[in-house]
Amino acid sequence: MIDSFSLLLSHGLVLLACWRLLSRRDLDDESAADTAASQDSQDLA
Amino acid sequence: MRDLFFLAYLAVFFAMALKRPFLLVLVYAYIDIVSPQRLSYFLLNSIPISAIAFALALMAWATIDNKRDSRFSARQFILFLLLVYCGLTTAHADFPVEAAAKWAWVWKSLVFAIFLPLTLRTRLRFEALSLIMILCASSIIVTGGIKTILAGGGYGVLNLMVDDNSGLYEGSTISMVAIAIIPLILWLAKYGTIFRPSRLVRIYALALCGACVLIPIGTETRTGLLCIMLLGGLMLWRSRHRIAFGVAALALALVAIPFLPSSFTSRMNTIENYQSDESASTRLAVWEWTWDYAKSHPGGGGFDAYRSNSFTYDSIKLVGEPGSERVVRDHVTDKGRAYHSAYFEVLGEQGYVGFALWAMLHLMSLVGTARIQRRYRANTDPAQAWIAPFALALQQGHLVYLLGAAFVGIAYQPFILMLLAMQAAFATYIARHERARGSVPIFAPRPVQPKQEAAA
Repeated sequence: MIDSFSLLLSHGLVLLACWRLLSRRDLDDESAADTAASQDSQDLA
Repeated sequence: MRDLFFLAYLAVFFAMALKRPFLLVLVYAYIDIVSPQRLSYFLLNSIPISAIAFALALMAWATIDNKRDSRFSARQFILFLLLVYCGLTTAHADFPVEAAAKWAWVWKSLVFAIFLPLTLRTRLRFEALSLIMILCASSIIVTGGIKTILAGGGYGVLNLMVDDNSGLYEGSTISMVAIAIIPLILWLAKYGTIFRPSRLVRIYALALCGACVLIPIGTETRTGLLCIMLLGGLMLWRSRHRIAFGVAALALALVAIPFLPSSFTSRMNTIENYQSDESASTRLAVWEWTWDYAKSHPGGGGFDAYRSNSFTYDSIKLVGEPGSERVVRDHVTDKGRAYHSAYFEVLGEQGYVGFALWAMLHLMSLVGTARIQRRYRANTDPAQAWIAPFALALQQGHLVYLLGAAFVGIAYQPFILMLLAMQAAFATYIARHERARGSVPIFAPRPVQPKQEAAA
């Protein structure tokens, strides 16, 4: 029970992290970080 | 059921890597740390998932990834020399069969550590690898933490899902790793961009840090307790409110002692009275034996060379009822006792040459990361604010490892080799950007007079 909870929690978070990485162009190209950052601030606004 | 879960999970993981091939590196790290093949019962055991993940990651890097920013650093070269040297000592090992068994996993860890820095060339990749390594380790730490709260644990008793007591699932190893990653968890909670700082992220990070501290208590490993004390000292040293935090930590520790399992406190007492403890006495005898062995075998005896040791030593024990205890001196003969120290492990197995390479690797990492931390700690550029804290987190984790390694034979621990590789990549990343400064914008546009800086 505890083992399953721990496995599900950690594996779920790993999957979520990877899912978020899919849309991050700055994973492969640092200069894309600027675009992402400005897009973020636009989203927040 | 668990088999199908892991199989489906890996399939999704690999499928996502089709869009972002760097994820293959993360898949390999996941397989190496969590070892899903050991958690499943039959299906995954028969598939070499680790080899498949590494081969795909290597292929993806060679064919698709941008190699303009990839550099082969001095530390990777040392790792390569260590790999070759370990191969040579394995070929002439005292115990060829046992040495070959250890070589079978050590060379993979070393090769991955050599390869890893080539792929780590953006800030987000450092963050992604750190995050995945921590989340993977958390699959063991969360279960260990909860079980410690509920049942109290015990040395060699706490069930960490896998019975074979190897890799990260070994009590002393996970104790050391759990403490070593605490600074990185705190860094991710503050500077993370995958999971951006929020109340939820902070709460989870703190809960995970709590679980990390519970691991040495649950596994009742003395090494873990020493690691907690070292990390506490290091964090206090860097803290602005060190006196207030120090008093609070001391008070918390004193309040917590009555709640600790009695088996934990009695085991920790043996740190002071080590002569009454067979495992501690054996360690000292093994270390002495290894020191002499290296003198007669300066080239090293290959993996598992400790198997030829045999020695008699005195173990001093207190026996009898409390109040009428008497000291009994026992003659104990031991054979084939493991090194219980990464330093002596490398010295005995790889001799002076191997030890020099291994020590140089750690020394260069410590010095390199400390230099970056010093240089960037006063940096006010928001785009570079993550650098000094990241260097500090890596450095603190490394120091915790170096202390834990004095009592546990974890010289080639894949998790630690990944952290070393990350430090090597981090140094080349910073050096590359510093070289480029002036001609190419680095990290992100600077808010303060970029032209003047470029001219300087």
